[in-house]
Amino acid sequence: MHVRAALIAALAVAGVSGCSVEAVKPWQKGTLARSEMNIEGAKPETRFDEHIYTSREAAAGGASVGGGGCGCN
Amino acid sequence: MQLKAGRDGDDRNDSAGRAILMAALALPGLIGVAGAAHADSAPEQGSISLNYLDYRDWQPGLDRIKVHTPAIDVLAPVAGVWAVQASLVSDIISGASPRYHTAISGASSMSDHRVAEDVGLTRYFPQGTINAGFAHSGENDYQSRAFSFGGSLSTEDKNTTGHAGIGVSNDTINPVNQVVNDAKKHTLELMLGVTQILTQNDIVQADLGHVIEQGYLSDPYKFLDNRPDERSRNTLLLRWNHHFEGSDGTGRFSYRYYTDTWEIRAHTFAFEYVQPFSQGWTVTPSARYYTQSAASFYFDPDYDPNYGPPVPLGYVFGSVSSPDQRLSAFGAATLGLKVEKAVARDVQISFKFEQYEQRCDWRLFGSGSPGLAPLYARVLQLGIVKTW
Amino acid sequence: MSSDLPVFGIEFGAMASRCEVRLAASDEAAARGLALAAIAEVRRIEAKYSRYRADSIVSRINAAAGNEWIACDEETAALFGYADALFDASGGLFDITSGVLRRAWDFRQAQVPEAIILEPLLKLMGWNRMEREREGGALYVRLPQAGMEIDFGGFGKEYAADRAGAILFELGVRHGYVNLGGDMRVIGPQPDGQPWSIAIQDPRRPNAVIAAIPVHSGALATSGDYERYFDLEGRRYCHILDPRNGMPVQYWRSVSVLAPLAIAAGSHATIAMLMQEQGLRFLRESKLAFLAVNQAGEIFQENAV
Repeated sequence: MHVRAALIAALAVAGVSGCSVEAVKPWQKGTLARSEMNIEGAKPETRFDEHIYTSREAAAGGASVGGGGCGCN
Repeated sequence: MQLKAGRDGDDRNDSAGRAILMAALALPGLIGVAGAAHADSAPEQGSISLNYLDYRDWQPGLDRIKVHTPAIDVLAPVAGVWAVQASLVSDIISGASPRYHTAISGASSMSDHRVAEDVGLTRYFPQGTINAGFAHSGENDYQSRAFSFGGSLSTEDKNTTGHAGIGVSNDTINPVNQVVNDAKKHTLELMLGVTQILTQNDIVQADLGHVIEQGYLSDPYKFLDNRPDERSRNTLLLRWNHHFEGSDGTGRFSYRYYTDTWEIRAHTFAFEYVQPFSQGWTVTPSARYYTQSAASFYFDPDYDPNYGPPVPLGYVFGSVSSPDQRLSAFGAATLGLKVEKAVARDVQISFKFEQYEQRCDWRLFGSGSPGLAPLYARVLQLGIVKTW
Repeated sequence: MSSDLPVFGIEFGAMASRCEVRLAASDEAAARGLALAAIAEVRRIEAKYSRYRADSIVSRINAAAGNEWIACDEETAALFGYADALFDASGGLFDITSGVLRRAWDFRQAQVPEAIILEPLLKLMGWNRMEREREGGALYVRLPQAGMEIDFGGFGKEYAADRAGAILFELGVRHGYVNLGGDMRVIGPQPDGQPWSIAIQDPRRPNAVIAAIPVHSGALATSGDYERYFDLEGRRYCHILDPRNGMPVQYWRSVSVLAPLAIAAGSHATIAMLMQEQGLRFLRESKLAFLAVNQAGEIFQENAV
């Protein structure tokens, strides 16, 4: 049931992707190129935050794969 | 009307004219083709980043874990189509952890040193990328090795990008109390996502993740901690960055939905606002709210009157159970502030302060697990980045 | 079948010039629709690079001179790259920072500015002095000294003509041209396959032509000393200024060049004007067809069509 809700939400985002109002041209991407507009965020900071939350909460991940584990208590 | 005969000119003029024509042809969108589709390119600059984390958590009456972590990250573009990235992290951990629930007496004290390295390689193609990575983490009671592989594909106009990734980890657990010996844990991670540029000021991304863990998943330092030997997790992560033209600031929003086969469901809402100021200063306040339900086998601190803590009422010896606070139902909030300053054209320093609090009655969508003390944490991060 | 298509001309004003889009379409409504797309692109470029709008990228860069770094989008970054090529090819004569000389020259009055007025302005020029940094995939630029300014007047009109022509071609137009104040981008020949006959104005007689050039496709652009000027004591002072001494060039009355792109044609014409006597060799070596008229009225028409 929860998987179905998740799939619907993901498809909704995919649907939005398909119909953007007016395609952004290459020379209009100056703002998008700024570092704060990068979806991922700075690697060191993201790694620190992810590690802290993974060792204090049950939920983990979602943004990347292959980070490896640790015995954090 | 008089015509002058042509003469052999010098090379400079010949190549000058050609250079102008070539430069004109290189301007995007002049030849009647819809916007020049230029290659997805490797980063133009390399960078080296030094960071330091200072973490401390506590609950009323007990200072818990302290962590000091220096880290170094390097990113280097190679030959215009490759990027190499490597990092080294050294966690120095010390302190005490409750052996069950938030019980102060009998908390186990420890000190440990964890070193983790990872390397990654990305190859850039005109319409996509391929990447591979390796990560290793080692401490006295835990070793982990992980491999990852992934790629991305973009549409012609680069406004839509799909990406996928797979990760495999093998961990070996050898707790100092020898509760188990050479226990193994295997993890398979799968990820699928799409990034969409909506406007000049908006970019969104959706990621679906599926993780399967098998092997020894329990915490050997906690009493009566006997978890199932398998766990599947699903995540849906939605992120949106919006640039505000008026203030020149950027809002970064994210929502993550998490569910797993231990019956834990969690929601994470995070927001930060990046505001640049003059002279190279940037201030970023941030807020995060997290809520989770308890694992199906988590038990509350209702102890059996005969056996006493940590044995719960009606306990069947050998059954699946855990008194771990991290598997209880609770809500948590973080407030943070980051200040960055560009000190030279290619050097930036940053300082981030965060305060975290976890309480059972902050849970949303249900009641929190009773009988647990709140958890507080204070995080400081210092960083310096140099690009070249 | 396309030889039956009627041809429509839509006139408009832009970039301080009389402009026209001429194209073959099935009917007038279709022609208007197509022309509107081309005109919209010309207006977009005009607004984006206008010196008169405080929020344009050019005005922001000029206002931040000697102070802040300004982020440029890809189109602006590409045009800066083109300005580099022109600066190199002309030995520093084509310099988009030379607009500061406008403060000394007012062509509505027949007055040559004193050297004392030109001197400080000469120190505020130098395209090679503009600072550039690439960061996070975007180009940041800064003029190093307050008072410096850049403007795209040297090739803005020709660039707009090329962009408008490209858009019309994308929309399916195969016969027609875009004419922005004499700078023309031809998309394709007349519907019957015949080239367009493009007249080159006599630099001394506004209503007369000195030649008619047949153009199948490509572009024709003209640079001349008759657009903004004054005559004093038998000498013409025009708006094309040598950045080395701040004085107008004198050798040519006009230079017209045929090239695949209007921006390339216009740049060759302007550089030939700036190079003065050496401009003839420059034009010959470019292998592009040109027509140049010197101060004596002699016409050089070479690398003929």
